[in-house]
Amino acid sequence: MAEKKVDVLIIGSGHSGGMVANILTGKGISCLMLNAGPIADFQKDRESKVAYELPYRGFKDPKKVPHVFQASEFNANTWVDEKEVPYSYDPGNPYNWVRVRLFGGRSLFWSRQSYRHSDYEFKAKDHDGFGENWPVSLAELDPYYSRVETIFRIRGRREGVPQYPDGNFIESDGNWSGFMERVIAHCRPLGIPVCKPRNAIGVDGLASSINLLLPDAFASGRLKAVPNAVVRELTVDKKTGLVSGAHFVDRHSRREMTIKARVVVVAAGTLESTRLLLNSGIANSSGILGRYLIDQTYGVGIVGTVKEAQNGKAPAGFMGGAATLPRFRNISSRAKDFIRGYAINISCGGNVDTHCIAAYGEELLEKTEQYRGSSFSTYVYGEVLPRYENHVTINKAVVDAWGIPTLHIQARYTDNELNMMRDAVDVSLAMADACGVEVLAKNTEPNPPGYSIHELGTCRMGDNPKASILNKWNQSHDIRNLFVVDGSSFVTGGWQNPSMTIMALSMRASEYLVEQMRQGNL
Amino acid sequence: MQRRDFVKAMVAVPVAASAALGQQAPPPSGAAPPGTAPVAPPTVAPSAAERRGMSEFKAPPVASVVPDAIASPDTHFFSQSQLAALRRLSDLLMPPLNGNPGALQAQAAEFLDFLVGASPGDRQVLYRQGLDRLNTEAKKQFGNPFAELDGRQADKIVRPALLPWMTDHPPKEPFARFIAIAHQDIRTATMNSEAWHAAMVSSGERAPGAGLFWRPIDPDPKNWA
Repeated sequence: MAEKKVDVLIIGSGHSGGMVANILTGKGISCLMLNAGPIADFQKDRESKVAYELPYRGFKDPKKVPHVFQASEFNANTWVDEKEVPYSYDPGNPYNWVRVRLFGGRSLFWSRQSYRHSDYEFKAKDHDGFGENWPVSLAELDPYYSRVETIFRIRGRREGVPQYPDGNFIESDGNWSGFMERVIAHCRPLGIPVCKPRNAIGVDGLASSINLLLPDAFASGRLKAVPNAVVRELTVDKKTGLVSGAHFVDRHSRREMTIKARVVVVAAGTLESTRLLLNSGIANSSGILGRYLIDQTYGVGIVGTVKEAQNGKAPAGFMGGAATLPRFRNISSRAKDFIRGYAINISCGGNVDTHCIAAYGEELLEKTEQYRGSSFSTYVYGEVLPRYENHVTINKAVVDAWGIPTLHIQARYTDNELNMMRDAVDVSLAMADACGVEVLAKNTEPNPPGYSIHELGTCRMGDNPKASILNKWNQSHDIRNLFVVDGSSFVTGGWQNPSMTIMALSMRASEYLVEQMRQGNL
Repeated sequence: MQRRDFVKAMVAVPVAASAALGQQAPPPSGAAPPGTAPVAPPTVAPSAAERRGMSEFKAPPVASVVPDAIASPDTHFFSQSQLAALRRLSDLLMPPLNGNPGALQAQAAEFLDFLVGASPGDRQVLYRQGLDRLNTEAKKQFGNPFAELDGRQADKIVRPALLPWMTDHPPKEPFARFIAIAHQDIRTATMNSEAWHAAMVSSGERAPGAGLFWRPIDPDPKNWA
C-alpha cells in the first residue's frame, strides 16, 4: 500500500490554524487540518429558548465548566467539558482555563476587540530592562496587520497615538457624547488618550475562522479536515530528527490513527499547543517550553451613575458611547511602583447592574429606575509580566478522556500586577469624581489568571535558541519542519486583545513556510 | 461479562432488537392458526406504504408543559428551618411588585434548594451557614426564627450585610457574601421562572431570559451515561 502523506498538517482550526490554511492553499499547497472537536451547525445545534424551559432556569449546571465564569446555561455546551479534559493547579492559585474545541475554536466566540501591539510591547525590554524583546517589530508586522484588518473588517479611528498603532480601518463615527467630551477634557491634561474602540465587523454577523478564512481554503480543493481528531503526540523521524506526522485518537471510537506529513503546523491554542509539544517530548532543547506563561488581568474597575443623568434628566446626546484609554503609564514618565501598563475601557449610558446597588425590594426597583440610562463604568485590562515561575507542566497522573496526560498550571500575579490594578482604580475614581459620577462599586482585585481567555507565551519566539523555542518565523529552533503559530509564541502580552497579532504572525509564518518549501528547504 | 456471554448476547441482538425497536407487520389474514400443520403462507407483497415503514411518520403534536406550571417541587437539601428562613428572605428581597410575581410565587426558595443541593461544597456551606446565621440573629434579637419576623425586624438583620459589589467579586465577609449571592440567586430564580414569564406575557411585555440555547454538539457517546 502506498504511504499516505500530506504536505502540511495543521493542528487546530481557529484564527491561527485558519489563517495558515488560507495562505497555504492560496499558494497551491495541499493541507490536512485536524481538529479535536466537532463541527457546530448554527441552525441545528441552537434553538430559541426561554430560561424557565431549561433544567436550571438559566443558571448553568453548577458542576459543569466551573472555571468558565463566562458560561451560562445557554452556552455551556460550547465550552470544553472539564471532566473530559481536566487540568490542575496548586490549591490557592486557581487558574481559569477557558477552551473551545468546536471547529473554528475560540474564533467563534471572541469579543472582536481588535488591536495591534506597539513597539512598547514588541521592544518592551528596551523601555524598562525587564524580560526579552520580541525578535520582530511593529514595522515588520505592519503589512500583515493591514491584511488581517482588511479580512476581518476592523472598525476604528486613526488616532495618531504611538502606543495605539493605527491600521487599515473602516472609519468609525468620530462623534462623542457630551459626557464623553467631559471625560476627554479631564484626561487630556493628564496625558491620558481617549480613543475610539476598535472591533472586527466581520461578515454576516460573524468574524471567525470558519467564515472569513476557511471557506476559500476549502473552495480551493487543497484543504481537507478531520473533525473529532484528538492529537496525542507528534512523531519524529529518528534518522532526520524532523517531525514526521502525528498520532491522533478518534474522539468517538477511541480508534488510534497515524498521519504522516512533510511539515507540521501546530495551532491548537496556546496551552494545548504547548501541552502537545511537552507530551511529544520535542522542541525543548532550551528547557523553557512551558515557561513564561502570561495573560492579562481582568475584573478590575468601578461602576457608577452620572448624577445629572439620573431620573431621565440627561439632555439629548449627553449620555452614551464607549472609549478605549490605551496604556498611558510608563510611556513618557515612570510609574512609582510598577512597570508596563494597562488600558481602561469605559462606557456610559446603560443601566446599572442591580448587585451594584445596596438595596432590595421596592427600594431597589426605585433606584434602578432612578439610574436608568445613567451608568458609567470602567474596566481595566492590565499587562502581566512574563515570569519564568509562571509555567505549565505535564501531569502524568491525570489523563483526559482519551488517555492523554493533562496540564498542571502554575500562575499567579505579583506586586507589579496588583499595584498596577490599584493605580487603575485610583485613576478611575479621580475621573469619576471630576466628571460628576456617583461611584456605586469598585474592585481592585483581579479575577484569577486565565479569566481573560488571553493565555499567551510558554512556547515563545526569540533570536536566541537557548532562551526561546521558536525563531522569528514561528519555526522551531530544533526542528525546522515544525511551526507553532498561535498565542504560545508571544514574548510579552501587553494589554491588547491578542487576536490581530496572532493572525498577523501566522500569516507571516505561512508565507515564510511557502517560500521555504519552494526553495526545497522543507 | 465473560467473553462467551458477550458473544451470546451479540448473537441474540438482531432478533431482540427487531422485536423491541420496530413495529411488526401484522400477520397476513390467511395465516394458519397455532397448532395446525405448517403450510407455506401465501405470498403477499408489502404495500408501498409498508415498504416505506416509518420514514414518512410524523410525530403528533404534544401539548407539553414545564413541570413548574403544574407541580410543586419537592425539597431535599435544606433543613426545615433553613428552608423557612430562605422563603422569608426571598419574600423580603423579591416581593411581588408592579404586577409581577414575587419570589414566593416563583417558588424561588424551592428551586434554590435543588440548585444549591447540586452545587459544589463551598456554595452549600455558604448557604447553610448564612441561613443558620439568619435564624441565630433572629432568635437573639427578636426571640423568633427568621421566618417569623416582620419586615422591619428582618430588615434590621439583613440591611447591615447588604453591600454593593462588582461582577465576580461579591463581598468576602461570609454573611455579607451569603446575602449578596442569595439576593442575586433569588432575583434570577424569580425572573427566570415560569410564573414571571406568564405574567410578562399576559401584560404584553417582552419576557426576560430568552436566548439561543446550544444543545450538546455531537456529544461523545462514552460520556452519555
